[in-house]
Amino acid sequence: MVETIDPITLEVLTQALISTVREMRATVTRTASSVAIYDAKDFSCGLFGPDSQVVAQSEDIGSHVVPLPWSVRSAMAKLGDTLAPGDVILVNDPYTGGTHLNDVTIIYPVFREGRLIFFPAVRAHWADVGGMVPGSMSGKATEIYQEGIRIPPVKIIERGEMNAAALDLLLANMRVPEERLGDLQASISACRVAEMRIHEICERHGVEKLLEVVRLDLDRAEARMRACISGLPNGTSYYEDYLETFMGGKFEPLLLPLALTIEGDRMIADFTGASPQVPFPVNSTAAVSAASVFIAVKSIFDPKAPLNQGSFRPIEVIAPAGTIVNVQRPAPAGSHGEIRKRVIATMVGALAQVTPDRVAGDLCRTSFHNLLGGYDTRKKREWVHYEWSAGGNGAFAEDDGPSAMATIDWGDLVTVQSSEVMETRMPLIVESSRLAVDSGGAGTTRGGLSMQRAMRVLAPEARYSLLSDGAIVPAFGVLGGLSGFPVGSWIDRDGVIEDFDTPGKVAGHFVEEGATVVVRSAGGGGYGDPLLRAAERVASDVREGYVSANAAVRLYGVVLRADGSVDADATTRLRQRIRDARFTLAAVAAAESDVFEAGAVSRRRICRLNPADAAAGRFQEDELVEFDARLAAPLRAWVRIDRTIGRGTVPLGERALTILKIKAAEPVELRSVASSVRPKVELMEAAE
Amino acid sequence: MAWLGVDVGGTFTDLVLFDRDARELKILKTPSTAQNQSEGILTGIDKLGIAPAKIDRMVHGTTVATNTALERDGARMAVVVTAGHKDVLVVGRGNRMSVYNIKAPPMRPLVLRSQCIEVRERIRVDGTILTPLDEAEVDAIGQRLFDEGVDAVAVCFLHAYANPVHERQCAERLAKWLPHATITTSADVLPEFREYERFSTTALNAYVAPRMRRYLGDLRAKLADAGMTARLAIMTSNGGSLPARRVEDMPVLSMLSGPAGGVIAASFVGKTAKYPDLITCDIGGTSADVCLVRAGEFAMTTEGRVGAFPIKIRQIDINSIGIGGGSIASLATGGFLSVGPRSAGARPGPACYGRGGTEATLTDANVLLGRLGTDKPLGGEIALDRGAAEAAVASLATQLGLTPVAMAEGILRIAAVSLAGAIKEVSVMRGIDPRDFVLFPFGGAGPLHAAEVATELGMQTVVVPPLPGNFSALGLLIADVRRDFVRTRVSQTASTDIADVRAALQDLLHDGEAELADAGFPLDQRRFSASLDMRYLGQSFELSVPVALDATSITDIERAFGEVYAARYGGTNNAVIEIVSYRLAAWGLSEKPTLPTIERAGRSGSAAQTGSREAIFDGKARQTPIFDRNKLPPGYSVQGPALVEEGGSTTVIPPGWSVALDDIGCLVFKRN
Repeated sequence: MVETIDPITLEVLTQALISTVREMRATVTRTASSVAIYDAKDFSCGLFGPDSQVVAQSEDIGSHVVPLPWSVRSAMAKLGDTLAPGDVILVNDPYTGGTHLNDVTIIYPVFREGRLIFFPAVRAHWADVGGMVPGSMSGKATEIYQEGIRIPPVKIIERGEMNAAALDLLLANMRVPEERLGDLQASISACRVAEMRIHEICERHGVEKLLEVVRLDLDRAEARMRACISGLPNGTSYYEDYLETFMGGKFEPLLLPLALTIEGDRMIADFTGASPQVPFPVNSTAAVSAASVFIAVKSIFDPKAPLNQGSFRPIEVIAPAGTIVNVQRPAPAGSHGEIRKRVIATMVGALAQVTPDRVAGDLCRTSFHNLLGGYDTRKKREWVHYEWSAGGNGAFAEDDGPSAMATIDWGDLVTVQSSEVMETRMPLIVESSRLAVDSGGAGTTRGGLSMQRAMRVLAPEARYSLLSDGAIVPAFGVLGGLSGFPVGSWIDRDGVIEDFDTPGKVAGHFVEEGATVVVRSAGGGGYGDPLLRAAERVASDVREGYVSANAAVRLYGVVLRADGSVDADATTRLRQRIRDARFTLAAVAAAESDVFEAGAVSRRRICRLNPADAAAGRFQEDELVEFDARLAAPLRAWVRIDRTIGRGTVPLGERALTILKIKAAEPVELRSVASSVRPKVELMEAAE
Repeated sequence: MAWLGVDVGGTFTDLVLFDRDARELKILKTPSTAQNQSEGILTGIDKLGIAPAKIDRMVHGTTVATNTALERDGARMAVVVTAGHKDVLVVGRGNRMSVYNIKAPPMRPLVLRSQCIEVRERIRVDGTILTPLDEAEVDAIGQRLFDEGVDAVAVCFLHAYANPVHERQCAERLAKWLPHATITTSADVLPEFREYERFSTTALNAYVAPRMRRYLGDLRAKLADAGMTARLAIMTSNGGSLPARRVEDMPVLSMLSGPAGGVIAASFVGKTAKYPDLITCDIGGTSADVCLVRAGEFAMTTEGRVGAFPIKIRQIDINSIGIGGGSIASLATGGFLSVGPRSAGARPGPACYGRGGTEATLTDANVLLGRLGTDKPLGGEIALDRGAAEAAVASLATQLGLTPVAMAEGILRIAAVSLAGAIKEVSVMRGIDPRDFVLFPFGGAGPLHAAEVATELGMQTVVVPPLPGNFSALGLLIADVRRDFVRTRVSQTASTDIADVRAALQDLLHDGEAELADAGFPLDQRRFSASLDMRYLGQSFELSVPVALDATSITDIERAFGEVYAARYGGTNNAVIEIVSYRLAAWGLSEKPTLPTIERAGRSGSAAQTGSREAIFDGKARQTPIFDRNKLPPGYSVQGPALVEEGGSTTVIPPGWSVALDDIGCLVFKRN
């Protein structure tokens, strides 16, 4: 029997489901034991239909909540046939729909009149799930077994009876087991609350009516997403980006290519060609990769749409097994934040070719995990400061990118910690905590600025670690906007700077008392040609300290008088001079194999330059450069000086031409990525 | 002699006068004067027919501070900060205000980055001085700000809560350069740690101060000219009042000046009427405010916001939602129907105001359903046009394929679900069952929607207090003088001496005594209560734990923390406990007005029923009796459907509910 639902009842019951999820959230917050759960809100809740589709979510952290349906689906595939009232499923396995082992999920079937109608589910970050280090996540893990205990979908409660053997086994493998038990109970309590509410709704409105509302909600969310996609032209666009690793001290970028196809009202994101998985915790799962595609689509096209599976339906994701976007046993999956951001970046880059007015420059680049801590022999205690300052967000057509603000996959997470609180808890003095001048990518609208914090150590010794991406390949701009600053960190001893050989990857570096650790998050990409930014806005940026006078001249071509006002005539002349001096080459069609180079693990794109061109454009061997026709996002490559290449030309493959939106023989601009973010020496000035 | 409460809202200025000789309350509504609120107030006093000289107490609820901040219409301001930290106010906490939106706009701080000026100085976490204040730099800043003509300065240094000496030196030195500017220090506004929240509160204070000073100065002058000699008091966000000249210095204390009055009145009337556990639902023109009152005590919070900016001032925990009479019902892509938060406001207002509004609002739905009568002007001022209401609702109904009646009922229903959601946030989401509470509606539109909201939440009883349309103004007459004090001093309980706890509380007590003495309260009218903000080591938020001023032992304090923690989070753990801040609330007790007594003479069921009109419930039109609240005899029971009218408000009793007036004049309705 199909109920007919009037639009009012539809809204009322939809709100009732969302309200149920919010009540689940409140219950977890109230009852969990892990600080990460009740304080940092590192958990999410959802309601799922019997077909494993998510039907209602609330305002959770996207990186967390969006992949949840994959776990529910695997659990159903394994246990669906045997489910009975009173069963509760526990799972954390990344390989079958999870994120990383710390995210432990409870799936709770709700039956009515003998029929399975819903699964409330809670995914929460447990502070520890065993493994090689306290907290379970280690930058040094080479296999998943070092990251904690893996829980495939199991019935932790069976027909109301706790599976004591399984629970014992789990808790015996985790640190602070009584706290873990508290976390488990919190998730179960939240699901029980949902069960109670679902029954109340059914009693008032009838189960058929509720299920029909769910069906309608999924369908209208799907229709809304299909309408968004239908508005885009058919065809395939491409983009590519890199994860950063060092193998034996040598930089090895891991390629993540995307082919994004729009076919009517469908979208297919294909990551075929991604780097093989590596024995470092940078890989991620198919669920995380697919969820990241969805987060990008939602954030670009329809931020306000209600979150349910209907809106996922028109989007297909292809993530080949055994690669960095679909990690397989036994490779580690601990740090899934970096793949998430790379996937979002490739989506932004590809959609920049299709609908540049709806995207923004690349954002923040990385989760930027800094750890500074040690043993304070004076106070006789261990201390660790965990610093994750957000970077600048990308600029977009209407406005400059926000500075130092959590990215779209982070919900409303707080990213700037109070200096006063840090000094209360840690033997540190926060010498400065400022936006880094010039760190936002230049553009018609400017990328958001990085956060730069200088922390002086007051304990006899400390160790500094950093697990970050975006230290070498910075956030890209769109439509001729320039890159933001890469992530940076260094040690400052009264002006004497110590840099790291492996930027972005630092493990337990010794820091003595009195030395200052400086960390700078990534800047956001710019949008549009900086020479088109209104000179008055550049003058205002200089006055406000967002852009230096030097960058105003070099990047924006704006000449200011001594009083800070714009010299209009000089600016017009300078802008023309800069425009004329841009270095362009003619694109020559080439085979894909001629423009990629194999490394130890992955391929990377190369820019083969005639030595005369390299000299004329002042490009160095192995320098990171970008091709740009200012029609979409630029394309990155590493310089290879090559006598076989004709002067004034550069070979580009099919994909590259599509990405740049040009044809063979057309001119393409080549610029140094490092130069657009200024030389190192000047960065140090900014550090003051 | 008489006491006067004046609450200025967006549309109406409400006045409540308590004549102490006749022991009676008089109420009045008059249109607000947006340009200068004081004009509406003087008009109101004039209309009330009271000689200002006869007023010996006047308490005012004002939205000037809030509106100045929200409309970005405040001072030309600068912020002086510790060297290295100029971006505290520019960056905030780095969280995303608009989730899942790649085009989230950048922060718009209250003050330009170039107006955040660094000065060399540094205080350590323990209050000791690391770098002395560079006075030459302060003088250079003073010269610059003088040249720029700023009229407000916020001085915000790190760890000033631990030692305010640098802030004070800096403020004093700047005052020499800027004798006419408002100079506010963070330690004066909020001596509590976490720099962004403290600086934000301080900057807001400085930002609104010059305008508030002008407004209150003008109002006081006008009142004095009219012959009033009483001291003007302003309602503050913590549910108390303070002398106007204190609020001129600390306008940030008055951000909830308007809605606070209603909560105070609710807790007072609730206690008198033996409904100490209640949830307020104050529905006005553009928004609704809900607040949980348990055992007569309203919930407090330090997590307030004005727009995007945190204010850490301790204030009543009022949850606001964008649902009011002017809320617009609209349809988004994909057929998603919503009511609010977009509002027609007072201009053009709902379609039925006949001022050019064409979109369907909550008020239009109420008019179409006959719940709101069109025979008398709204609030005595605005004539309602039924035809315009019907046209607006019908236009939306057509898009959805509904009848206008189903559409109007649907609008009411969705509004009720949203209001219920706001109530869940202050009850269910905190582990409190709203069914153990009565719903306490007021504001012009509260009693119209109460039954439907109660139904959504399974609440059995609705209590409409006397004078619901002027209820916030009544609260102004009830509020005691109150000031909250706080000081951050972080220590672990295990290493804290009880003598230090007592000494810290005594320091606060000293400030409290001074404040109350200044406001003219004799010793026997002063009350104090203390609490500690505590947490487990490693947590980043604190719980407020009540303690005695002469706290007996650390163990008792730890036990009290355990109890509060368990009540909120369902259990405790063995972690190290920290005391973070010390708090003191200081009250100067005021005499209360007596609520109107119910004169039985002239009241009867037949006298009360003034007529009937067609109203629609569950799709069916019914001839519905109309009662005049002021003629209903106590205890006389009326079965729904019924409408109870009075000046400023209409109460809807749907079928399945019955209503009776209790002895003190509350309209109590229960589900049959």
